[in-house]
Amino acid sequence: MPGSRPATAKVESVVARPGVNAPPPWLGHAKRIGLGFAPWVVLIALWEMAAARGWLQMSLFPPPSAFISYAIESDLKVGFGREAMSLPYAIVASAYRVLAGLAIGFLFAIATGILVSMSRTASLAVLPIVRGLAPIAPIAWIPIGIVVFGIGNATAVFVVFTGVFFLLTLSTVSAVQSVDSRLIKTARSYGASPRQVWTHVIFPAVLPQVFTMLRLNFFAAWMAVLAAEMVGLKNGVGMIVILGREMFNGNLVMIGICAIGVTGYLIDSFLLFLQRNILWWSDRGAL
Amino acid sequence: MEALRNVSFSASTGEFVALLGPSGCGKSTFLELIAGLESITHGDITIDGVRITGPDPNAVMVFQEHSLFPWLNVFENVGFGLRMKGLSGEPYEFLVRTVLDRVKLGRFAKHYPHQLSGGMKQRVAIARALVSEPAFIMMDEPFAALDFQTRFLMQQFLLDIWTEFRSTILFVTHQIDEAITLADRVLVFSAGPGRILEEVTIALPRPRISTKPDFNEYRTRLTDLLEQEVMRAHALEMTA
Repeated sequence: MPGSRPATAKVESVVARPGVNAPPPWLGHAKRIGLGFAPWVVLIALWEMAAARGWLQMSLFPPPSAFISYAIESDLKVGFGREAMSLPYAIVASAYRVLAGLAIGFLFAIATGILVSMSRTASLAVLPIVRGLAPIAPIAWIPIGIVVFGIGNATAVFVVFTGVFFLLTLSTVSAVQSVDSRLIKTARSYGASPRQVWTHVIFPAVLPQVFTMLRLNFFAAWMAVLAAEMVGLKNGVGMIVILGREMFNGNLVMIGICAIGVTGYLIDSFLLFLQRNILWWSDRGAL
Repeated sequence: MEALRNVSFSASTGEFVALLGPSGCGKSTFLELIAGLESITHGDITIDGVRITGPDPNAVMVFQEHSLFPWLNVFENVGFGLRMKGLSGEPYEFLVRTVLDRVKLGRFAKHYPHQLSGGMKQRVAIARALVSEPAFIMMDEPFAALDFQTRFLMQQFLLDIWTEFRSTILFVTHQIDEAITLADRVLVFSAGPGRILEEVTIALPRPRISTKPDFNEYRTRLTDLLEQEVMRAHALEMTA
Protein backbone atom coordinates (compact mmCIF):
# COMPACT_ATOMS: atom_id res chain seq x y z
CA MET A 1 0.00 0.00 0.00
CA PRO A 2 1.52 3.36 -0.95
CA GLY A 3 2.33 5.59 1.96
CA SER A 4 2.69 2.90 4.59
CA ARG A 5 6.00 2.05 6.10
CA PRO A 6 8.08 -0.18 3.83
CA ALA A 7 8.93 -3.58 5.19
CA THR A 8 12.59 -4.23 5.51
CA ALA A 9 14.44 -7.43 5.43
CA LYS A 10 17.91 -7.65 6.76
CA VAL A 11 20.30 -10.47 6.19
CA GLU A 12 23.47 -10.35 8.22
CA SER A 13 25.33 -13.06 6.48
CA VAL A 14 24.85 -16.42 4.94
CA VAL A 15 27.68 -18.83 4.82
CA ALA A 16 27.17 -21.76 2.49
CA ARG A 17 29.75 -24.44 3.02
CA PRO A 18 28.41 -27.50 1.30
CA GLY A 19 29.54 -30.77 2.72
CA VAL A 20 30.92 -29.59 6.02
CA ASN A 21 28.01 -30.66 8.14
CA ALA A 22 26.66 -33.16 5.63
CA PRO A 23 26.26 -36.72 6.84
CA PRO A 24 28.71 -39.28 5.43
CA PRO A 25 27.56 -40.81 2.11
CA TRP A 26 27.44 -44.36 3.42
CA LEU A 27 24.73 -43.31 5.79
CA GLY A 28 22.53 -42.38 2.84
CA HIS A 29 23.11 -45.74 1.19
CA ALA A 30 22.47 -47.59 4.43
CA LYS A 31 19.25 -45.69 4.94
CA ARG A 32 18.05 -46.51 1.45
CA ILE A 33 18.81 -50.21 1.75
CA GLY A 34 17.33 -50.27 5.21
CA LEU A 35 14.16 -48.62 3.96
CA GLY A 36 14.01 -51.22 1.22
CA PHE A 37 13.88 -53.97 3.80
CA ALA A 38 11.47 -52.24 6.11
CA PRO A 39 8.19 -53.18 4.34
CA TRP A 40 9.36 -56.78 4.17
CA VAL A 41 10.20 -56.85 7.85
CA VAL A 42 6.74 -55.56 8.67
CA LEU A 43 5.06 -58.07 6.36
CA ILE A 44 7.00 -61.00 7.78
CA ALA A 45 6.31 -59.89 11.33
CA LEU A 46 2.58 -59.76 10.58
CA TRP A 47 2.79 -63.14 8.89
CA GLU A 48 4.51 -64.78 11.84
CA MET A 49 2.00 -63.27 14.18
CA ALA A 50 -0.93 -64.44 12.11
CA ALA A 51 0.47 -67.96 11.93
CA ALA A 52 1.21 -68.06 15.64
CA ARG A 53 -2.34 -66.93 16.43
CA GLY A 54 -3.76 -69.60 14.21
CA TRP A 55 -5.32 -67.16 11.76
CA LEU A 56 -3.50 -68.82 8.90
CA GLN A 57 -3.49 -72.47 8.02
CA MET A 58 0.03 -73.67 8.63
CA SER A 59 -0.12 -76.25 5.89
CA LEU A 60 -0.99 -73.64 3.30
CA PHE A 61 0.85 -70.53 4.42
CA PRO A 62 3.76 -71.50 6.61
CA PRO A 63 5.63 -68.42 7.77
CA PRO A 64 9.36 -67.93 7.14
CA SER A 65 10.24 -69.35 10.55
CA ALA A 66 8.64 -72.60 9.49
CA PHE A 67 9.77 -73.04 5.93
CA ILE A 68 13.27 -71.74 6.42
CA SER A 69 13.91 -74.16 9.26
CA TYR A 70 12.39 -76.91 7.12
CA ALA A 71 14.81 -76.07 4.34
CA ILE A 72 17.75 -76.12 6.70
CA GLU A 73 16.63 -79.43 8.19
CA SER A 74 16.50 -80.95 4.72
CA ASP A 75 20.08 -79.84 4.08
CA LEU A 76 18.71 -77.43 1.49
CA LYS A 77 17.69 -80.38 -0.62
CA VAL A 78 14.40 -80.92 -2.31
CA GLY A 79 12.90 -84.17 -3.43
CA PHE A 80 13.71 -87.78 -2.63
CA GLY A 81 16.65 -90.07 -3.06
CA ARG A 82 18.15 -89.97 -6.50
CA GLU A 83 15.98 -87.13 -7.68
CA ALA A 84 16.93 -84.95 -4.75
CA MET A 85 18.12 -81.59 -5.92
CA SER A 86 19.90 -78.99 -3.90
CA LEU A 87 18.26 -75.62 -3.60
CA PRO A 88 21.31 -73.58 -4.58
CA TYR A 89 21.73 -75.79 -7.63
CA ALA A 90 18.12 -75.27 -8.62
CA ILE A 91 18.51 -71.53 -8.38
CA VAL A 92 21.67 -71.57 -10.46
CA ALA A 93 20.07 -73.82 -13.06
CA SER A 94 17.05 -71.57 -13.53
CA ALA A 95 19.17 -68.44 -13.55
CA TYR A 96 21.49 -69.91 -16.13
CA ARG A 97 18.62 -70.82 -18.43
CA VAL A 98 17.01 -67.43 -18.36
CA LEU A 99 20.30 -65.54 -18.79
CA ALA A 100 21.38 -67.77 -21.67
CA GLY A 101 18.02 -67.30 -23.36
CA LEU A 102 18.17 -63.54 -22.87
CA ALA A 103 21.71 -63.25 -24.18
CA ILE A 104 21.10 -65.35 -27.27
CA GLY A 105 17.78 -63.65 -27.92
CA PHE A 106 19.32 -60.20 -27.53
CA LEU A 107 22.25 -60.84 -29.85
CA PHE A 108 20.16 -62.49 -32.56
CA ALA A 109 17.57 -59.73 -32.31
CA ILE A 110 20.12 -56.95 -32.76
CA ALA A 111 21.67 -58.78 -35.70
CA THR A 112 18.32 -59.49 -37.31
CA GLY A 113 16.97 -56.02 -36.64
CA ILE A 114 19.97 -54.33 -38.18
CA LEU A 115 20.11 -56.64 -41.19
CA VAL A 116 16.42 -56.13 -41.81
CA SER A 117 16.86 -52.36 -41.63
CA MET A 118 19.67 -52.44 -44.15
CA SER A 119 17.71 -54.12 -46.91
CA ARG A 120 14.23 -53.52 -48.19
CA THR A 121 13.96 -57.09 -49.43
CA ALA A 122 15.02 -58.52 -46.09
CA SER A 123 12.51 -56.32 -44.36
CA LEU A 124 9.66 -57.44 -46.62
CA ALA A 125 10.63 -61.06 -46.19
CA VAL A 126 11.31 -61.19 -42.49
CA LEU A 127 9.15 -58.62 -40.73
CA PRO A 128 5.74 -60.17 -41.43
CA ILE A 129 6.96 -63.42 -39.91
CA VAL A 130 8.41 -61.69 -36.87
CA ARG A 131 5.24 -59.70 -36.33
CA GLY A 132 3.16 -62.84 -36.71
CA LEU A 133 5.16 -64.88 -34.25
CA ALA A 134 5.66 -62.14 -31.67
CA PRO A 135 2.26 -62.47 -29.96
CA ILE A 136 2.73 -66.18 -29.30
CA ALA A 137 3.27 -66.63 -25.58
CA PRO A 138 6.49 -68.43 -24.66
CA ILE A 139 4.48 -71.11 -22.89
CA ALA A 140 2.98 -72.09 -26.22
CA TRP A 141 6.45 -72.81 -27.54
CA ILE A 142 7.14 -75.41 -24.87
CA PRO A 143 5.71 -78.39 -26.75
CA ILE A 144 7.66 -77.47 -29.87
CA GLY A 145 10.76 -77.01 -27.75
CA ILE A 146 10.37 -80.43 -26.21
CA VAL A 147 9.90 -82.06 -29.59
CA VAL A 148 12.96 -80.37 -31.07
CA PHE A 149 15.31 -80.24 -28.11
CA GLY A 150 13.98 -82.92 -25.82
CA ILE A 151 13.59 -82.43 -22.11
CA GLY A 152 16.53 -80.42 -20.87
CA ASN A 153 18.20 -77.07 -20.64
CA ALA A 154 17.98 -76.43 -24.36
CA THR A 155 14.22 -76.34 -24.30
CA ALA A 156 14.13 -73.87 -21.44
CA VAL A 157 16.66 -71.63 -23.17
CA PHE A 158 14.66 -71.92 -26.39
CA VAL A 159 11.46 -70.90 -24.63
CA VAL A 160 13.14 -67.79 -23.17
CA PHE A 161 14.61 -67.05 -26.58
CA THR A 162 11.21 -67.05 -28.25
CA GLY A 163 9.92 -64.86 -25.47
CA VAL A 164 12.36 -62.06 -26.23
CA PHE A 165 13.69 -62.51 -29.75
CA PHE A 166 10.70 -61.33 -31.80
CA LEU A 167 9.96 -58.41 -29.56
CA LEU A 168 13.56 -57.26 -29.46
CA THR A 169 13.90 -57.55 -33.24
CA LEU A 170 10.98 -55.19 -33.70
CA SER A 171 12.45 -52.97 -31.01
CA THR A 172 15.77 -52.89 -32.86
CA VAL A 173 14.12 -51.94 -36.13
CA SER A 174 12.29 -49.14 -34.39
CA ALA A 175 15.45 -47.99 -32.65
CA VAL A 176 17.37 -47.89 -35.93
CA GLN A 177 14.77 -45.58 -37.39
CA SER A 178 14.94 -43.25 -34.42
CA VAL A 179 18.71 -42.79 -34.40
CA ASP A 180 19.32 -39.03 -34.46
CA SER A 181 20.03 -38.06 -38.04
CA ARG A 182 22.61 -35.54 -36.84
CA LEU A 183 24.77 -38.38 -35.56
CA ILE A 184 24.59 -40.12 -38.90
CA LYS A 185 25.24 -36.93 -40.86
CA THR A 186 28.15 -36.05 -38.61
CA ALA A 187 29.71 -39.47 -39.15
CA ARG A 188 29.30 -39.19 -42.90
CA SER A 189 30.67 -35.69 -42.83
CA TYR A 190 33.84 -37.04 -41.29
CA GLY A 191 34.24 -39.63 -43.99
CA ALA A 192 32.47 -42.70 -42.60
CA SER A 193 31.42 -45.13 -45.33
CA PRO A 194 27.82 -46.42 -45.24
CA ARG A 195 29.10 -49.64 -43.67
CA GLN A 196 30.99 -47.70 -41.05
CA VAL A 197 27.88 -45.74 -40.24
CA TRP A 198 26.15 -49.03 -39.41
CA THR A 199 28.95 -50.36 -37.22
CA HIS A 200 30.21 -47.16 -35.62
CA VAL A 201 27.01 -45.19 -35.18
CA ILE A 202 23.80 -47.13 -35.58
CA PHE A 203 24.86 -50.23 -33.68
CA PRO A 204 26.02 -48.42 -30.50
CA ALA A 205 23.12 -46.00 -30.78
CA VAL A 206 20.44 -48.71 -30.65
CA LEU A 207 21.95 -50.83 -27.88
CA PRO A 208 20.55 -48.87 -24.89
CA GLN A 209 17.02 -48.76 -26.25
CA VAL A 210 16.93 -52.45 -27.05
CA PHE A 211 18.54 -53.37 -23.74
CA THR A 212 15.89 -51.39 -21.89
CA MET A 213 13.29 -53.40 -23.80
CA LEU A 214 15.08 -56.52 -22.67
CA ARG A 215 14.96 -55.47 -19.04
CA LEU A 216 11.30 -54.63 -19.27
CA ASN A 217 10.62 -58.09 -20.68
CA PHE A 218 12.77 -59.91 -18.20
CA PHE A 219 9.90 -60.82 -15.94
CA ALA A 220 8.02 -62.38 -18.83
CA ALA A 221 11.14 -64.33 -19.74
CA TRP A 222 11.55 -65.45 -16.13
CA MET A 223 7.98 -66.71 -16.08
CA ALA A 224 8.63 -68.55 -19.32
CA VAL A 225 11.49 -70.47 -17.73
CA LEU A 226 9.37 -71.33 -14.72
CA ALA A 227 6.58 -72.55 -16.96
CA ALA A 228 9.01 -74.72 -18.90
CA GLU A 229 10.38 -76.10 -15.65
CA MET A 230 6.96 -76.80 -14.23
CA VAL A 231 5.77 -78.56 -17.32
CA GLY A 232 8.62 -80.75 -18.35
CA LEU A 233 12.02 -80.29 -16.84
CA LYS A 234 12.97 -82.06 -13.71
CA ASN A 235 14.82 -79.33 -11.92
CA GLY A 236 14.98 -75.64 -11.32
CA VAL A 237 13.04 -73.44 -8.95
CA GLY A 238 9.83 -73.81 -10.93
CA MET A 239 9.85 -77.49 -10.25
CA ILE A 240 10.13 -76.91 -6.51
CA VAL A 241 6.75 -75.26 -6.40
CA ILE A 242 5.12 -78.02 -8.42
CA LEU A 243 6.73 -80.68 -6.26
CA GLY A 244 5.49 -78.95 -3.16
CA ARG A 245 1.99 -78.84 -4.54
CA GLU A 246 2.00 -82.48 -5.56
CA MET A 247 3.30 -83.56 -2.18
CA PHE A 248 0.97 -81.24 -0.31
CA ASN A 249 4.05 -79.74 1.27
CA GLY A 250 3.30 -76.10 2.07
CA ASN A 251 6.87 -75.49 3.13
CA LEU A 252 8.21 -76.55 -0.24
CA VAL A 253 5.75 -74.33 -2.05
CA MET A 254 6.83 -71.36 0.04
CA ILE A 255 10.48 -72.18 -0.43
CA GLY A 256 9.91 -72.34 -4.16
CA ILE A 257 8.03 -69.06 -4.24
CA CYS A 258 10.68 -67.40 -2.14
CA ALA A 259 13.48 -68.73 -4.33
CA ILE A 260 11.68 -67.55 -7.44
CA GLY A 261 11.20 -64.08 -6.09
CA VAL A 262 14.70 -63.62 -4.76
CA THR A 263 16.40 -65.06 -7.82
CA GLY A 264 14.27 -62.95 -10.15
CA TYR A 265 15.11 -59.85 -8.16
CA LEU A 266 18.82 -60.61 -8.20
CA ILE A 267 18.91 -61.20 -11.95
CA ASP A 268 17.04 -57.98 -12.57
CA SER A 269 19.61 -56.17 -10.42
CA PHE A 270 22.33 -57.77 -12.47
CA LEU A 271 20.72 -56.50 -15.68
CA LEU A 272 20.52 -53.05 -14.17
CA PHE A 273 24.20 -53.27 -13.29
CA LEU A 274 24.99 -54.23 -16.90
CA GLN A 275 22.96 -51.32 -18.17
CA ARG A 276 24.78 -48.82 -16.00
CA ASN A 277 28.29 -50.11 -16.59
CA ILE A 278 28.40 -51.58 -20.06
CA LEU A 279 25.97 -49.16 -21.63
CA TRP A 280 27.38 -46.22 -19.77
CA TRP A 281 25.93 -43.69 -22.15
CA SER A 282 22.29 -44.61 -21.75
CA ASP A 283 19.87 -43.19 -19.21
CA ARG A 284 20.92 -44.08 -15.72
CA GLY A 285 18.36 -46.87 -15.38
CA ALA A 286 15.61 -45.26 -13.36
CA LEU A 287 13.73 -48.51 -13.01
CA MET B 1 8.20 -26.89 -51.64
CA GLU B 2 11.14 -25.22 -53.21
CA ALA B 3 13.80 -24.54 -50.64
CA LEU B 4 16.44 -22.77 -52.70
CA ARG B 5 16.68 -21.17 -56.07
CA ASN B 6 19.76 -20.13 -57.98
CA VAL B 7 22.16 -19.54 -55.17
CA SER B 8 25.74 -18.84 -55.98
CA PHE B 9 28.51 -16.97 -54.27
CA SER B 10 32.25 -17.12 -53.93
CA ALA B 11 34.41 -17.27 -50.87
CA SER B 12 38.12 -16.79 -50.51
CA THR B 13 40.28 -19.28 -48.70
CA GLY B 14 40.22 -18.67 -45.00
CA GLU B 15 37.28 -16.30 -45.16
CA PHE B 16 34.57 -16.26 -42.53
CA VAL B 17 31.20 -16.03 -44.25
CA ALA B 18 27.95 -15.71 -42.36
CA LEU B 19 24.62 -16.79 -43.84
CA LEU B 20 21.93 -14.66 -42.29
CA GLY B 21 18.25 -14.96 -42.90
CA PRO B 22 14.80 -15.64 -41.50
CA SER B 23 13.93 -19.15 -40.36
CA GLY B 24 12.97 -21.54 -43.08
CA CYS B 25 14.77 -19.64 -45.81
CA GLY B 26 16.84 -22.61 -46.81
CA LYS B 27 20.17 -21.54 -45.35
CA SER B 28 20.57 -24.76 -43.35
CA THR B 29 19.59 -26.77 -46.42
CA PHE B 30 22.17 -24.86 -48.41
CA LEU B 31 24.83 -25.71 -45.87
CA GLU B 32 23.98 -29.39 -45.93
CA LEU B 33 24.09 -29.34 -49.73
CA ILE B 34 27.60 -27.95 -49.70
CA ALA B 35 28.57 -30.54 -47.12
CA GLY B 36 27.22 -33.22 -49.42
CA LEU B 37 24.71 -34.38 -46.83
CA GLU B 38 21.63 -33.53 -48.86
CA SER B 39 21.04 -34.04 -52.54
CA ILE B 40 19.79 -31.60 -55.12
CA THR B 41 16.45 -32.25 -56.75
CA HIS B 42 17.02 -30.00 -59.74
CA GLY B 43 20.24 -28.57 -60.98
CA ASP B 44 23.81 -28.85 -59.91
CA ILE B 45 25.84 -27.94 -56.95
CA THR B 46 29.47 -27.32 -57.62
CA ILE B 47 32.47 -26.09 -55.73
CA ASP B 48 35.05 -24.54 -58.08
CA GLY B 49 33.24 -26.17 -60.97
CA VAL B 50 33.47 -29.64 -59.45
CA ARG B 51 30.12 -31.28 -58.74
CA ILE B 52 29.43 -32.34 -55.18
CA THR B 53 28.28 -35.93 -55.06
CA GLY B 54 28.56 -36.81 -51.41
CA PRO B 55 30.10 -35.92 -48.09
CA ASP B 56 33.75 -35.03 -48.07
CA PRO B 57 35.95 -34.91 -45.01
CA ASN B 58 37.37 -31.72 -46.44
CA ALA B 59 34.05 -30.02 -45.76
CA VAL B 60 32.88 -30.89 -42.27
CA MET B 61 29.62 -30.01 -40.61
CA VAL B 62 29.06 -28.79 -37.05
CA PHE B 63 25.47 -28.98 -35.86
CA GLN B 64 23.74 -27.02 -33.13
CA GLU B 65 23.58 -29.91 -30.69
CA HIS B 66 23.41 -33.68 -30.32
CA SER B 67 26.28 -34.24 -32.70
CA LEU B 68 28.70 -35.80 -30.23
CA PHE B 69 28.66 -39.59 -30.05
CA PRO B 70 27.39 -40.36 -26.55
CA TRP B 71 29.25 -43.67 -26.29
CA LEU B 72 32.63 -42.10 -26.97
CA ASN B 73 34.52 -39.90 -24.56
CA VAL B 74 35.84 -36.47 -25.47
CA PHE B 75 39.16 -37.80 -26.74
CA GLU B 76 37.50 -40.42 -28.95
CA ASN B 77 34.92 -37.96 -30.24
CA VAL B 78 37.53 -35.45 -31.26
CA GLY B 79 39.61 -38.13 -32.93
CA PHE B 80 36.67 -39.58 -34.87
CA GLY B 81 37.52 -37.95 -38.17
CA LEU B 82 41.12 -39.08 -37.91
CA ARG B 83 39.96 -42.62 -37.16
CA MET B 84 37.81 -42.65 -40.26
CA LYS B 85 40.87 -41.68 -42.24
CA GLY B 86 42.68 -44.65 -40.80
CA LEU B 87 45.01 -42.83 -38.47
CA SER B 88 46.03 -44.54 -35.24
CA GLY B 89 48.79 -44.86 -32.67
CA GLU B 90 51.25 -42.11 -31.84
CA PRO B 91 50.45 -39.57 -34.56
CA TYR B 92 46.73 -39.92 -33.83
CA GLU B 93 47.15 -39.42 -30.08
CA PHE B 94 49.47 -36.50 -30.59
CA LEU B 95 47.10 -34.64 -32.91
CA VAL B 96 44.10 -35.13 -30.65
CA ARG B 97 46.05 -34.14 -27.54
CA THR B 98 47.29 -31.00 -29.23
CA VAL B 99 43.85 -29.86 -30.28
CA LEU B 100 42.37 -30.69 -26.88
CA ASP B 101 45.01 -28.62 -25.15
CA ARG B 102 44.48 -25.81 -27.61
CA VAL B 103 40.76 -25.64 -26.80
CA LYS B 104 41.51 -26.04 -23.09
CA LEU B 105 39.68 -29.35 -22.78
CA GLY B 106 42.73 -31.46 -21.95
CA ARG B 107 41.42 -32.10 -18.45
CA PHE B 108 38.19 -33.53 -19.82
CA ALA B 109 39.67 -36.02 -22.26
CA LYS B 110 38.11 -39.00 -20.50
CA HIS B 111 34.75 -37.39 -19.84
CA TYR B 112 31.62 -38.42 -21.67
CA PRO B 113 29.27 -35.98 -23.42
CA HIS B 114 26.53 -36.39 -20.84
CA GLN B 115 28.95 -35.06 -18.23
CA LEU B 116 29.61 -31.84 -20.12
CA SER B 117 27.79 -28.52 -20.29
CA GLY B 118 26.30 -27.25 -23.55
CA GLY B 119 29.17 -24.87 -24.19
CA MET B 120 31.79 -27.54 -23.57
CA LYS B 121 30.01 -29.95 -25.89
CA GLN B 122 30.16 -27.40 -28.67
CA ARG B 123 33.82 -26.80 -27.96
CA VAL B 124 34.38 -30.54 -28.41
CA ALA B 125 32.41 -30.46 -31.65
CA ILE B 126 34.53 -27.58 -32.92
CA ALA B 127 37.74 -29.26 -31.81
CA ARG B 128 36.64 -32.34 -33.72
CA ALA B 129 36.10 -30.23 -36.81
CA LEU B 130 39.46 -28.52 -36.49
CA VAL B 131 41.66 -31.49 -35.82
CA SER B 132 41.52 -32.80 -39.37
CA GLU B 133 42.19 -29.28 -40.72
CA PRO B 134 39.49 -29.30 -43.38
CA ALA B 135 39.29 -26.64 -46.07
CA PHE B 136 35.68 -25.84 -45.18
CA ILE B 137 33.86 -25.89 -41.88
CA MET B 138 30.10 -25.55 -42.07
CA MET B 139 28.39 -24.44 -38.90
CA ASP B 140 24.63 -24.55 -38.56
CA GLU B 141 23.72 -22.11 -35.79
CA PRO B 142 26.21 -23.79 -33.46
CA PHE B 143 25.65 -21.42 -30.56
CA ALA B 144 21.90 -21.02 -30.79
CA ALA B 145 21.21 -23.46 -27.96
CA LEU B 146 23.52 -21.68 -25.52
CA ASP B 147 22.73 -18.95 -23.04
CA PHE B 148 23.91 -15.39 -23.66
CA GLN B 149 27.12 -15.49 -21.63
CA THR B 150 28.23 -18.84 -22.95
CA ARG B 151 27.44 -17.76 -26.49
CA PHE B 152 29.55 -14.63 -26.09
CA LEU B 153 32.49 -16.65 -24.80
CA MET B 154 32.11 -19.23 -27.55
CA GLN B 155 32.15 -16.50 -30.21
CA GLN B 156 35.43 -15.17 -28.84
CA PHE B 157 36.73 -18.72 -28.63
CA LEU B 158 35.82 -19.43 -32.24
CA LEU B 159 37.47 -16.27 -33.52
CA ASP B 160 40.56 -17.04 -31.50
CA ILE B 161 40.80 -20.58 -32.84
CA TRP B 162 40.00 -19.57 -36.38
CA THR B 163 42.87 -17.09 -36.62
CA GLU B 164 45.13 -20.08 -36.07
CA PHE B 165 43.53 -22.83 -38.12
CA ARG B 166 42.18 -20.58 -40.86
CA SER B 167 39.67 -22.90 -42.54
CA THR B 168 37.03 -21.23 -44.64
CA ILE B 169 33.99 -21.01 -42.39
CA LEU B 170 30.38 -20.90 -43.52
CA PHE B 171 28.32 -19.94 -40.51
CA VAL B 172 24.54 -20.00 -40.50
CA THR B 173 22.85 -17.77 -37.97
CA HIS B 174 19.66 -15.83 -37.52
CA GLN B 175 21.25 -13.43 -35.03
CA ILE B 176 22.42 -10.20 -36.59
CA ASP B 177 24.90 -9.29 -33.86
CA GLU B 178 26.52 -12.67 -34.08
CA ALA B 179 26.96 -12.30 -37.84
CA ILE B 180 28.55 -8.88 -37.49
CA THR B 181 30.83 -9.96 -34.64
CA LEU B 182 32.18 -12.98 -36.44
CA ALA B 183 32.06 -12.63 -40.20
CA ASP B 184 34.18 -11.03 -42.89
CA ARG B 185 31.13 -11.08 -45.12
CA VAL B 186 27.43 -11.57 -44.46
CA LEU B 187 25.15 -13.13 -47.06
CA VAL B 188 21.59 -12.07 -46.42
CA PHE B 189 19.12 -14.71 -47.55
CA SER B 190 15.59 -14.10 -48.65
CA ALA B 191 12.71 -16.08 -47.26
CA GLY B 192 11.85 -19.31 -49.04
CA PRO B 193 12.63 -20.14 -51.77
CA GLY B 194 16.01 -18.96 -50.59
CA ARG B 195 18.21 -16.77 -52.67
CA ILE B 196 20.90 -14.33 -51.74
CA LEU B 197 19.39 -10.89 -51.34
CA GLU B 198 22.51 -8.99 -50.60
CA GLU B 199 26.13 -9.38 -49.63
CA VAL B 200 27.43 -7.13 -46.91
CA THR B 201 31.13 -6.96 -46.25
CA ILE B 202 31.97 -6.15 -42.64
CA ALA B 203 34.89 -3.78 -42.85
CA LEU B 204 35.57 -3.57 -39.15
CA PRO B 205 38.79 -4.62 -37.49
CA ARG B 206 38.50 -7.39 -34.94
CA PRO B 207 37.80 -7.50 -32.03
CA ARG B 208 34.46 -5.86 -32.78
CA ILE B 209 32.70 -4.05 -29.98
CA SER B 210 28.96 -4.35 -30.30
CA THR B 211 28.28 -1.06 -28.56
CA LYS B 212 30.28 1.13 -30.90
CA PRO B 213 28.64 3.30 -33.59
CA ASP B 214 30.29 1.62 -36.58
CA PHE B 215 29.01 -1.75 -35.38
CA ASN B 216 25.60 -0.19 -34.98
CA GLU B 217 25.59 1.03 -38.57
CA TYR B 218 25.90 -2.52 -39.79
CA ARG B 219 23.32 -3.66 -37.29
CA THR B 220 20.86 -1.09 -38.56
CA ARG B 221 21.45 -1.98 -42.17
CA LEU B 222 21.09 -5.70 -41.64
CA THR B 223 18.10 -5.31 -39.37
CA ASP B 224 16.30 -3.21 -41.98
CA LEU B 225 17.04 -5.78 -44.65
CA LEU B 226 15.87 -8.66 -42.53
CA GLU B 227 12.75 -6.96 -41.26
CA GLN B 228 11.71 -6.04 -44.77
CA GLU B 229 12.24 -9.61 -45.82
CA VAL B 230 10.32 -11.07 -42.92
CA MET B 231 7.38 -8.75 -43.62
CA ARG B 232 7.45 -9.61 -47.31
CA ALA B 233 7.50 -13.32 -46.61
CA HIS B 234 4.70 -13.00 -44.11
CA ALA B 235 2.58 -11.07 -46.63
CA LEU B 236 3.19 -13.79 -49.20
CA GLU B 237 2.12 -16.43 -46.73
CA MET B 238 -1.06 -14.57 -45.92
CA THR B 239 -2.07 -14.28 -49.55
CA ALA B 240 -1.07 -17.81 -50.55
